[in-house]
Amino acid sequence: MSASHLLEVANLSVRRGARDVVEQVSLSVNASERVALVGPNAAGKSTLLSAIAGLLKPSQGGITLAGQPLTTLGSREIARRIALVVALQEGAPLISVRESTALGRYPHTGPFQDLGAADHGAVSRAITETCLLELEDRTLGSLSAGERQRALVARALAQEPGLLLLDEPSAHLDIGHGLDLFALLATIATRGVAIIAVIHDLVAAAQWATRMLVMDHGRIVDDGPPERVMMGEPLGRAFGVSIAEALAANGAGSTWRFERRAGG
Amino acid sequence: MTAGRLNGLLGIGLLVSLLMALCLGAVQYSPAEVLLEAMRAAGLSSGAGLDEAHRVILGEIRLPRVLLAALIGGALAVTGALLQVVFQNPMADASLLGVGSGAALGAVIAVKLGWSFDIFMALPAAAFVGALGAALIVYMVAQGTRSSSLTSLILTGLAVSAFLSGLTSIILIASEEFRVRAVFFWLAGGLEGRGFTHLGLAASLIVPACILAGLLRRPLDLLLLGETEARALGLNVPRMRLLLLGLAALLSGATTSVAGSVPFVGLMAPHAMRSLVGPRASRLLPASFFAGAILVVLSDLFARGFSDKYDLPLGAITSLSGAPYLLHILRRTERA
Repeated sequence: MSASHLLEVANLSVRRGARDVVEQVSLSVNASERVALVGPNAAGKSTLLSAIAGLLKPSQGGITLAGQPLTTLGSREIARRIALVVALQEGAPLISVRESTALGRYPHTGPFQDLGAADHGAVSRAITETCLLELEDRTLGSLSAGERQRALVARALAQEPGLLLLDEPSAHLDIGHGLDLFALLATIATRGVAIIAVIHDLVAAAQWATRMLVMDHGRIVDDGPPERVMMGEPLGRAFGVSIAEALAANGAGSTWRFERRAGG
Repeated sequence: MTAGRLNGLLGIGLLVSLLMALCLGAVQYSPAEVLLEAMRAAGLSSGAGLDEAHRVILGEIRLPRVLLAALIGGALAVTGALLQVVFQNPMADASLLGVGSGAALGAVIAVKLGWSFDIFMALPAAAFVGALGAALIVYMVAQGTRSSSLTSLILTGLAVSAFLSGLTSIILIASEEFRVRAVFFWLAGGLEGRGFTHLGLAASLIVPACILAGLLRRPLDLLLLGETEARALGLNVPRMRLLLLGLAALLSGATTSVAGSVPFVGLMAPHAMRSLVGPRASRLLPASFFAGAILVVLSDLFARGFSDKYDLPLGAITSLSGAPYLLHILRRTERA
């Protein structure tokens, strides 16, 4: 395996129950890449993210971070390098945005050490970057879906990871808040952070990502720049739809039209 | 209200409760007499003070009992707060999860086999093992059903509690009368006849366990986020839950070994405090400790002040206030 990639996944399989939910997946991701992981329900996308975050043990294959096998790293060491924002997180509605963000420093401080000046600095930067300064004393439970999603991203940023994993970050967000979030993620990537996000909205994924991965039945069936992947046969086959390029409503550029395939 | 201010108020409330509990009873003292006696004992006053009999009642009978009430009240509240994090359920409590029954069974076995009379610390050790065993059974059953819903948790705890209580009854029936009388105390809960030895014994376990719980405030906060989030932030969740469960069992075992079963304190105190200071352990644990201490000091005052002839069981007093409180919470949760 090459040590030049930030993340390298080689021949990875993850078994859940009696079947491989992720099957022989290989991919590599570099710093600053914005990767959209798309695919139909139950394709294995969230499982793949969990395995990359070290939360699930592979049944086969391996994962390396900057050349170091994940299995040789402790859980806090992994959390210092990889942050995971899980889907539909509803826990701890009574803690404030600042308190929630400060929990992102746990991988750096450990169980007994309180936050130092550097930790408080990282928390403040994460809150500022996610535009949550005015809401920092509000509880998570009192936030709108968009604000809450930003608060979860803030906690992930406080971890100061090199790789940010997000599972359906724009779920439950209206188009405006969704675009705000993707703009924020694009800014984060410019700092060298690699981002892999599971995204259900194919158009949003294509607009935001620099690269798209298509998963179907546990396997990566396509991998490339969005404009090619969106018109590729594997994407349509995975979702059971036909995809055609169409002129955008404003006449500038193109967009995509989807139609259900017969028997799809 | 800030957490510091609330803790200050609770601290004052505890001091007032302690003073009330020291003053009131079959023999009454004025607050001035108690304070003067405390100053005299500390060498700050050389006045004549109380006569010998009153001094013994105040200093050697009432004082350790009142301090023990505060200590076990605080410990029970911390136990509840820890269990609520482990089970991710704000209504988990030692009494509802069978932990109290497990501790009582351990204590009864120790009495039945004569260990409590022969071996130093055998009784609290047996109560601890019983508490830990019950907590582990409920934890594993709850994990097995993959459900942490309030109903399934309470039903699991109820089933385990009923099973352990059944075993306790069988052992009691097969025991000599003097042993039955000795263990009835653990089943009903109470502080009658407790002295400085019991206070020292309980404090030797409760104080370090509470300090350790306070030191684990950051992992406790992390567990509030849920298992996946906590693991993604680098916490070894199963190991931490087991440690917290062991800590809760140690506290429950320590309180049961000196005061028997005192239910619902671990439910009421953290639940009431959570709405005032939020769920973070650094605020919730001290506030719960103070609230639990006040609750048990006042409950014990009522237990011994109700009649001149006998003490009411402390466990019965906390049950009489705790059961309606639980019903109130359940109704509110269902409405929500």
